[in-house]
Amino acid sequence: MDFLFDGLKEAVRLIASGDRQILDAALRTLSISLSAVALAILIGLPIATCLARRHFFGHRLLLVMFRAALGVPTVFLGLLCFGLLARRGPLGPLDLLYTPSAIVIGETLLALPIVVALAHGALVTLDHRIPETARTLGAGPVRRLLTYLSEARTGLILAILTAFARCSTELGIAMMVGGNIKDRTRTLSTATALETGRGEFAVGLAMGGLLLLLATGMTLLAAMLGKENRRDA
Amino acid sequence: MTIVSTNQLVVRRSSIPILAATDLEIAAGERIGICGGNGTGKTTLLRVLAGLEPAPPDMVTFDCAAADITLVHQHPWLFHGGVLGNIEYGLAARRINRSTRRQVAGEWLERLGISQLAGRQVEGLSGGERRRVALARALAIEPKLLLLDEPLAEIDDAGIAMIREVLEQLENTTVVITSPVDLPDGFVERTIWLATPQTIPTVN
Repeated sequence: MDFLFDGLKEAVRLIASGDRQILDAALRTLSISLSAVALAILIGLPIATCLARRHFFGHRLLLVMFRAALGVPTVFLGLLCFGLLARRGPLGPLDLLYTPSAIVIGETLLALPIVVALAHGALVTLDHRIPETARTLGAGPVRRLLTYLSEARTGLILAILTAFARCSTELGIAMMVGGNIKDRTRTLSTATALETGRGEFAVGLAMGGLLLLLATGMTLLAAMLGKENRRDA
Repeated sequence: MTIVSTNQLVVRRSSIPILAATDLEIAAGERIGICGGNGTGKTTLLRVLAGLEPAPPDMVTFDCAAADITLVHQHPWLFHGGVLGNIEYGLAARRINRSTRRQVAGEWLERLGISQLAGRQVEGLSGGERRRVALARALAIEPKLLLLDEPLAEIDDAGIAMIREVLEQLENTTVVITSPVDLPDGFVERTIWLATPQTIPTVN
């Protein structure tokens, strides 16, 4: 028990003292997952909107594919990105392997199905009167779209928070295409694994603790939003 | 002057007619009631007139722009946020500046007797209040053709009197309203009765 307790004490001290390597990993984790989620929104929100509003050839298949992709293991995504970005891979000339950008690419692939599937769920259940009311009041296509998205805001924020929680805590992609390089691609999750592996349990605990805080914070926020949504209905 | 007319308009859903052949000629400034039992297509007719239901172009002729037509649903949807924001929605879509929007919204709230709702959020409004806000929102854009689907349900007598007065003052606006039987006498100038759409049996 002493081992755990001492580790915990040291972890709290490390976080409280603003240890540089912990802070560094935390900031990198934040910036990488925020970039990945932003990219996933940019690509995924139009797809989700299209899937919710239009029926086209292959509509059902596309939706099923995005839903199925929710379960793809991160280590497989890491493997896929590694294959793409490795020097002999199709994107090898970009020389992105073992850079933060590589992790962003991988995590974007991780976040995309989450954004598409959850945002589609939020949009497809929207009332038909919303676009109709906007239209009969003379709103143009842009205003109609913004109104439509704004009426689904709770579900959309939920999708974004879920994607962010998943990206910031994943290990597989960051490890395989980031390479856990100190001061370059080390994130909270890879650092937790590394420090624990080399016997620095307290540092690992500090990193893992921060990660836990980040993830539970997001999940709590999402749960609170979900509750608010039910009150609206 | 005719504002909209229909010529043997039939609407089908999955090849089953939901609105029987209807001939209409609606003049500018009229107040018209649409009557008929359940399933006679009252709401469908209103949706066609609002441009929300596709209809063959030779069956419906509009003599006003789509932007001049607005519909208030039987159960109106209010956008989240404030009452004022809702009433100003159509004005904002017409790029009318903020201060004018506020002023117009305030006027309509007053004319419909709901000035006290100006600072309220739409969550927590009663059914009758929501209807009046939706009506104010539709009236604020000064439509040439105003389509109201059972607008007076859930509204108290004082409210009905007030809405009646407001609608009667709209000289340039054509009002088409369903279920006018609930309305006080003389509220609509004429009534159109819809027949039950018949499924024509196919003979092999």
